Amino acid sequence: MNFSNKTVLLAATLTLLAVLAGCAAKKGTGSYVVLLRDPDGNAGKVIVQSQQGEQTLTEVFKGTALDGKREPFFVMQDQLQRDFGAALAAMPPPPEIPFPLEFATRSVSAMDDRSTAELQRIVNNARQLNTMDISVIGHTDTTGTPAGNRDIALKRAQFVASRLRDLGLLPPIRITPISHGQYTQKVKTGDQVDERANRRVEVILH
Amino acid sequence: MKRRFNFRQALAGLILTTLPLFSQAQTEPIGYVKTVTGEAWVSNGAERVRAQRGTPVLLGSQLRTQAGASLGVSFKDNTMMSFGPNTELTVDEYLYEPADEQLKLSTRLLRGTLNYIAGVIAKLKPDAVSVRTPMGVIGVRGTQFLVKVEDEQ
Repeated sequence: MNFSNKTVLLAATLTLLAVLAGCAAKKGTGSYVVLLRDPDGNAGKVIVQSQQGEQTLTEVFKGTALDGKREPFFVMQDQLQRDFGAALAAMPPPPEIPFPLEFATRSVSAMDDRSTAELQRIVNNARQLNTMDISVIGHTDTTGTPAGNRDIALKRAQFVASRLRDLGLLPPIRITPISHGQYTQKVKTGDQVDERANRRVEVILH
Repeated sequence: MKRRFNFRQALAGLILTTLPLFSQAQTEPIGYVKTVTGEAWVSNGAERVRAQRGTPVLLGSQLRTQAGASLGVSFKDNTMMSFGPNTELTVDEYLYEPADEQLKLSTRLLRGTLNYIAGVIAKLKPDAVSVRTPMGVIGVRGTQFLVKVEDEQ
């Protein structure tokens, strides 16, 4: 009686350990994240969090398991290729963002000659690429208030959107004016700085 | 008699012109399929379409690649994601209203491999981007990274 109880207990413990080990091997080793430099050459930061731990990646080609339990490790090129070759090969080409259209101070309609010519080039590109969806993003510099700049940026985007329609990009082509207000600067400046390069509209052909 | 006919026509016209406005608001694309090899699918609720170049991705879309397949998607804020074979990812949250500082992009990678290039959302708001996996959550500060989630079976 006693003997058989012990045997059962032992067997159960061994089974449990085997199952746990199996789970750990399956879950821990294979699932991981690797930090890369983005196409602009910037390496940011990746943070992995789970109930079991937390790890931060700041170095390119370093990886860490998704349970956050182990220290980051270097990932070899051949392993990257083996695990991620297919995903990397499927990466879409970066969208072409034409030359930004610039605006006079606080103006929501006047563009310079270069911008007007660029607008025609954008329309030609959209036709050539058979683009069906276009984002038109308006920006301001930091003069004025954030709320006022949100409106000016939106009006700039709406102005360019209507110009694109006038030049023949008609429905079902979708054109969405979006306001970034003063938050996405091309040239970094402090508050209340009159900066021509930041007063712009960008057109993205999706 | 003639008057009633006209009224009906006007009503039908009104319904026909306003209906697409409502449906458009709910199904506004947040991204598009740019590259596909092999068999890949985009599901929105019960509706499932075979992915091809130009297939729209919506909030809540589930993206799935079969064995030997791959898929590349670009989002409105220039975030780019591409997937290797046997991969499943859903887009749970997508907020792209920079002027109101409303920014969020959360996805769930259930299995497979993901190549992720952060876009404007991650640049403007560092804490806005996350990828949930069955093991842990990945937070992102403007960069490119790769994730592999191994099947649990």
